[in-house]
Amino acid sequence: MSRVNFGDPAVIASLAAALEAAGVDGIEIEQDARKVRIVIERGILGAVPQVDASQHSSAATHAISVAAPTAGLFCSAHPASVAPPLELPREVVPGEMLGFIRVGPILLPVKASGTGILMRSLAGDGSLVGYGEPLFEIEPCP
Amino acid sequence: MIEILNTGPLNTIQDIGRPGYRDIGVTASGAMDPMALKIANLLVGNDEGAAAIEVQTFPFRLRFSGATAFAVTGGGRAALDGVSLPPWWSQTAGAGQVLELLPSPASARAYIAFAGGLDVPLVLGSRSTSLRGAFGGIDGRSLTNEDILQLGEPARTVFAADGLGVVPPATALSALFPVAADGTLLVRALPAGEHDLFGADAERFWSQSWKISAQSDRTGYRLSGEPVRPTAPVEMRSYGIVPGVVQVPPGGEPIVQMSDANTAGGYPKIAGVLEADLWRLGQARVGSRLRFVRSSHAEARTLDRAIAAYVDDISNTSQMVARALKTMAGR
Repeated sequence: MSRVNFGDPAVIASLAAALEAAGVDGIEIEQDARKVRIVIERGILGAVPQVDASQHSSAATHAISVAAPTAGLFCSAHPASVAPPLELPREVVPGEMLGFIRVGPILLPVKASGTGILMRSLAGDGSLVGYGEPLFEIEPCP
Repeated sequence: MIEILNTGPLNTIQDIGRPGYRDIGVTASGAMDPMALKIANLLVGNDEGAAAIEVQTFPFRLRFSGATAFAVTGGGRAALDGVSLPPWWSQTAGAGQVLELLPSPASARAYIAFAGGLDVPLVLGSRSTSLRGAFGGIDGRSLTNEDILQLGEPARTVFAADGLGVVPPATALSALFPVAADGTLLVRALPAGEHDLFGADAERFWSQSWKISAQSDRTGYRLSGEPVRPTAPVEMRSYGIVPGVVQVPPGGEPIVQMSDANTAGGYPKIAGVLEADLWRLGQARVGSRLRFVRSSHAEARTLDRAIAAYVDDISNTSQMVARALKTMAGR
C-alpha cells in the first residue's frame, strides 16, 4: 500500500471534500507516530474543516502509553470486582491487567506494555474511548 | 490433551444434560449452572452444550499439553501459571501451562471449557457424568489425579490474543436477579400441586429464610429451618420429578431437586423453582440462606428471555470483537 503524506495540505483538502460528500462528520488517521483528525462542522455555511495534526516524538517524553485495544467503555476495574481501586503511582510488569474495555457484555483487557511505574490514568471510568486512545502512562524503570 | 494434576472429590465432566430418558429411570444430569457452562463454551467457539469440567471441590489443577483456548466461568478464582485471571474469562494457554482454580466466596461451582470440547463417549445423547448410574463422562466416575482428557476438533474460531471475558450475569443482569440486603438469595418459584394442603404452613414456607444444609449435593439441596407440614398426612402415588421441584418429606424440611434429581418421588411438592433461577441455586453454597419468592408464569417467561438475550449477545459480540481485533492486528 502506498503511503499517503498527511502533511500535504492538498491531501487534507481532498480528504475533507470526500468526507463532506460522504456525509461523514470526521475521521482520525494514525500513521506511525503521527495522528491526523479532520472534523467537518455542518450547518455552518462555508465552514472550513478543522484539521489537527500532531506528531508524538518519542524523544520528547519517556512515558510509555498504553492504548485502548478497541473502541468501547473504559473500566478501571472488573465490573464484578468489589476490591478498592489500586492507588497510583504503582509498579507494573508487562502483561499486567490495568483495566478493561467493555463492548456490550464483552470485556477486553488493557495490559501494561512494559515494566515501570504506572503514573497516570488518562480515561475516566465508564467513558467511551476510541481505538488506540492512550489510557495509561507508564514511566519505564531506569 | 489435558492432564488433571490435582482434584478434590466429585468434580465431573458435564454438558447440558441427558433429558428425555426419565421414563426409563435415567436422571438428566448436566451442569448445575447451565448458563455458566453455555457461556464458557461460546467463549471458546464450541456449541453451547459441549462437555466441560464442573469443579465443585478445590483446589483444582490441570496442565495443557498443547496450545489450547479455554474459558473459566461461574465460581472459582483461576490462575494460569500463577497469574490471576479475571472471573468469567477465556484465554489461550500454551503447552505445559498449568491452570489452577481456588474456591471463590460467592459461587460454589466453576466450569472449564476447552476449544473442541471434552471428547468422551456420548451415552444416551450426552457426555454428562451420572455418578449414580455410573456412566457418562469417564466411566461414570469423578475426575481423579492423573486423568488424561482428550479434546475434540476446535471450531475455526478467531480468539482474542490477549484474552477476553464477559460481564458476569450476576452483574450484567443484577436488576433481574435480586439478592436481599442481608445477602439472602431470593429464589423465584411457583406453588406446586400440594401447596394448598400445607394450610397456614404454606405461607411460612415463603416467608422464612432457609439454610442450605450440609446434606446437599448435585441430586438435591436439603434445607433447614422451621418445619412446614401439611394439615393432614398426605399419601401420594409416585410422580415424575424434574430439577427445581421442592418436596417436603415428613420431617417438614424441604428438599429442592437439582441436576441429578431422582426421576420419581412421592413426597408432597409445595413449589417448583423457576428454571431461570436454577443456575443461582446451583451456585449457592452449603450454609448460605435463601428465601422463596412467589413468582408467575409471566415473570418466568420474562427471565427466560432475558437470559437467552444475554447469552446471544455474548455469542455475537465476542465473535465480532475477536474478528475486529484480528483485523486491526493485521494492518
